[in-house]
Amino acid sequence: MADASMQPALPRGRPEIEIMTDTSADGTRQDLPGGYLVWQLGLGVVLLGVWEWAGFVTGSQWVNRPSSIGYQLAQWSTGEIYPHLATTIIELLSGLVIGTILGVLAGLLLGRATRLGPILRPIIVAFYSIPLVSLAPLFIMFFGVEMLPKIVLVSIVVFFLLFFNTFSGVATIDDDLVATLQLMGASRREVFMKVVLPASTAWVLAGIKVALPFALVGTITGEMLAARSGLGYLLNQASQQFDMTAIYAVLAILMVVGVIVSEVAVRLEGWLLRWRNTNT
Amino acid sequence: MRGAVDQMAAMGPARSADRAAAQIELKGASKTFHVRGQAIRALDPVDLSVAAEEFVALVGPSGCGKSTVLNMTAGLLTPSEGQVLYGGSPVHDLNRQVGYMTQKDTLLPWRRTSDNIRVALELACRATPKAEADERVARMTELVGLKGFEHHYPNELSGGMRKRTLLARTLIYEPETLLMDEPFGALDAQLKLVMLEQLQALVQQRRMTVLFVTHDLGEAIALADKVVVFSARPGRIRAIRKIDLPRPRDVYTIRFTPEFSRYHEELWDVLKDEVSKGTDI
Repeated sequence: MADASMQPALPRGRPEIEIMTDTSADGTRQDLPGGYLVWQLGLGVVLLGVWEWAGFVTGSQWVNRPSSIGYQLAQWSTGEIYPHLATTIIELLSGLVIGTILGVLAGLLLGRATRLGPILRPIIVAFYSIPLVSLAPLFIMFFGVEMLPKIVLVSIVVFFLLFFNTFSGVATIDDDLVATLQLMGASRREVFMKVVLPASTAWVLAGIKVALPFALVGTITGEMLAARSGLGYLLNQASQQFDMTAIYAVLAILMVVGVIVSEVAVRLEGWLLRWRNTNT
Repeated sequence: MRGAVDQMAAMGPARSADRAAAQIELKGASKTFHVRGQAIRALDPVDLSVAAEEFVALVGPSGCGKSTVLNMTAGLLTPSEGQVLYGGSPVHDLNRQVGYMTQKDTLLPWRRTSDNIRVALELACRATPKAEADERVARMTELVGLKGFEHHYPNELSGGMRKRTLLARTLIYEPETLLMDEPFGALDAQLKLVMLEQLQALVQQRRMTVLFVTHDLGEAIALADKVVVFSARPGRIRAIRKIDLPRPRDVYTIRFTPEFSRYHEELWDVLKDEVSKGTDI
């Protein structure tokens, strides 16, 4: 694999060595009173305070102030923001679901196909070499300015990432596990369900985690190019009106969306891969 | 001394063939592996026959092709020359009449102990009603001493426990023939004896044919009807010795009987040269 960007993401494994840290089992540092959270919140408050102070001293709208951004957010939260938020989230999730399903299916099928896999893989790699967001104008021409072009774009981005990860995951499946089940008399379908699918889970989940930020990038880029609604659309509007407060407010929302989406993915992974994270 | 054993080697297959039709038969079967353009002879042509319900132990130094014999019997490898017959017909493709307990840990890491043991009973070809499967899994779990660990994942078990899970998983579906590749290598001495006894009882009760690879000559003599000594690589059969000890054998005390010592001395005499040759591999 020559291109580093095509390197599949490795699933999170059990560390080989226990690394000694001064962190206790519940994740709190023993030498810090109150644990991490208090210090994280404290640092956040200090940073916001410095920003507020800088905005107050300079009086510049480019620097802006957290208090005005907060006021903007509060105003939006009375109703105006929800259709935009809904648009973005629907596009993001639809793209993720469609792209994941297709990518995993293609990865599993081509990964198990000894002849078709090597033939088709380079073609897929060639397509992947196109910077995918540059397809956005094309999709807008094909599918208009509503949600569809963004969903297609996100699906394609997610498809490629999941395809490569699943493909590599299938290649690492232990042939001895397959042979063991075959000797017991398992059919092809049973081998697939009992070995191939569960063994690929780690790779699929690692792929989803990598795909999430890219999916968000795809959604927002698509919306910024042409849309009638969505956070990217809002961002574009705000920048055309030089409304720095609104820009910062949208960025704050995007940050929260991004954090929530990745946190969900981490939790899901922890649950689905409980067999490898458990330790005695 | 060695001459006498070699003579018996020549007689061995003939005798067992008299007793019953051969379940497993190697006819001049050899195996050469090609690793990076280099041919490595793992097994010279070997003739070996295992009668139905016979317990045959293969001993020999590391890398002498014992596992290759099992792999060819299971149909995982095809012989480079010669033939491997199972139930009278050549083995091609996977041999589904055998239960194979490999040296390697092939537990499914995402399944808990009891679900790993159960896996064969979930397959369509051995569909088992849930209640019966539960009962058999519980019985087997207890038999291999894993009670209390049913809900652990493999990476939460010790090496010995994983071995026992593998054993239980292989035994639970009662295959016609058991292929076992050093099944008790990782167990401590006491537990090993318990497992040997269980294995002996189960094999007799279910009338299974067993091909058993081990490093431990004592284990081989205690269990087997026939001990086959392999030479260092390329593997050849150095001796085949019938073990005429009455069954059921008491695996705990059989080591202290004079007959056992005689067999042990005799076979060790053959084995020790091969082991010293094999150590530099």
